[in-house]
Amino acid sequence: MRALVAFAAIGFAAAAGAAELKAWTGGATPELALQDLQGRTHRLADYRGKVVLVNFWATWCEPCREEMPSFERLRQSFAGRPVEVLAVNLGEPVGRVERFLERMPLGFPMLLDRDTGVAKAWKARVVPATFVVGPDGRIRYVHYGELDWSSEPVRKRVAELLE
Amino acid sequence: MDRRAFLQTSAAAAAAALPWQPAAASAGWRTFETVTRVEVVNPRGVSRAWVPLPLTDDTDWQKAIGNSWAGNALRTQIATDGKYRVAMLYAEWRDGEPAPVIEVTSRFMTRDRAVELGKPLPNAETLTAAERAFYLSATELIPTDGIVRKTALEITKGAKSDVAKAHAIYQWVVDNTFRDPKTRGCGWGDIKSMLESGNLGGKCGDLNAMFVGLARSVGVPARDLYGVRVARSEYGYASLGVGSPNVTRAQHCRAEFFASGYGWVPVDPADVRKVVLEEPPGKLAVSDPKVEAARKRLFGSWEMNWLAYNMGHDVKLPDSSGPALPYLMYVNAETGGEMRDQLDPDTLKYAITAREVKA
Repeated sequence: MRALVAFAAIGFAAAAGAAELKAWTGGATPELALQDLQGRTHRLADYRGKVVLVNFWATWCEPCREEMPSFERLRQSFAGRPVEVLAVNLGEPVGRVERFLERMPLGFPMLLDRDTGVAKAWKARVVPATFVVGPDGRIRYVHYGELDWSSEPVRKRVAELLE
Repeated sequence: MDRRAFLQTSAAAAAAALPWQPAAASAGWRTFETVTRVEVVNPRGVSRAWVPLPLTDDTDWQKAIGNSWAGNALRTQIATDGKYRVAMLYAEWRDGEPAPVIEVTSRFMTRDRAVELGKPLPNAETLTAAERAFYLSATELIPTDGIVRKTALEITKGAKSDVAKAHAIYQWVVDNTFRDPKTRGCGWGDIKSMLESGNLGGKCGDLNAMFVGLARSVGVPARDLYGVRVARSEYGYASLGVGSPNVTRAQHCRAEFFASGYGWVPVDPADVRKVVLEEPPGKLAVSDPKVEAARKRLFGSWEMNWLAYNMGHDVKLPDSSGPALPYLMYVNAETGGEMRDQLDPDTLKYAITAREVKA
């Protein structure tokens, strides 16, 4: 008799345009403590009280590159309000990340997950993977794949978390 | 020619003649990228594709970095088989999508792997009773009773340890099977039929499954690992690597057995038979020094110019109406409820490229 196998869905993404943030059902929020390009350590716990978008990405990932400016637009649209973006690069050399930022200047921290251990803890096995963390420090939404993070539906979700 | 140039030339010539040359590359981790592009041609109704992804769990010899995808799928999902942790990217296109396409990029690191048999490790991996039972169990095409066990008992007569049993089986597979170039794909590993018919020809999916089934049937935990070659061999074997970035047809599976004091031990008797058939000038004798060196080397080591996808058997694709697959090593797709031929990348239209990523 053939073995019956159960499949566990780790990621889900809809095509751009029809995308919606998916409510997080993956359990406790993993730790995050990583250095940025300047060597400063960022801990998720330090951002308590803010909505934080944790975006796992890589320069070799085309959808990651495509959606990156939308994080900047989202951040700027919430200027003066407690909304932050933390970009987490998957194990690439510092020089490659710096060259990317020379071409695409971004105003939010670029963290280095050198051994991809944090990405694995967050189950970010497909990139881009973005987690929306509420002011209480808990993951509220997740999206795998490219998305316009400055779109009105996304901005509405973020604004709701600030209320 | 001056003396210095002569010596250099002579040394190079001597090295070239040596079987299993020392690797030219660094022994450390190497980073690779594969890009798998899938197009469902002539779609009819809803289309679906299943693309194997690198091994879920990190090991001492392979670490996943990440995957990304681009294309026009309505939805995608990373699915993991709950039994073997077979990871795949599932893509689905709506009815009416004229040109379903998805491109999956995977990055991962590998480093060569060798277990020094004869020197047990104090901190070697152990198996729980449940894990041991799992890696001794039969699969749809790999029974562990009847002719399989009878054959294995004869092969391992007198062998006491798991290493000795595994070695006897490895030698038997190398000496009694052959690589059949006419086998489609890598062979599905129907080892009972092979033994009953006496036709022991096949490819890696057959020959390494034979090793696994024989080993399991006499109590030696063993497993197949399915993957794809991604680079040329650095050890001087043209047949054990790929010569171009196009690796669409370079799928290859390997095997491991478990031995107390050593943990999982890599083997690849099928590749010894590949050397016999394909290593230039071709059709080498088993006594050829290149074959002998490969035979010695491939019991206990793997060159990691290869990406491991998974170790699953009897894999049921999520949301597919088709039967379970003996293993998932190829891209699979269906349209209008009909599976496309996974062994025909032109019909299904998929292509895999691989490259090493330098820092």
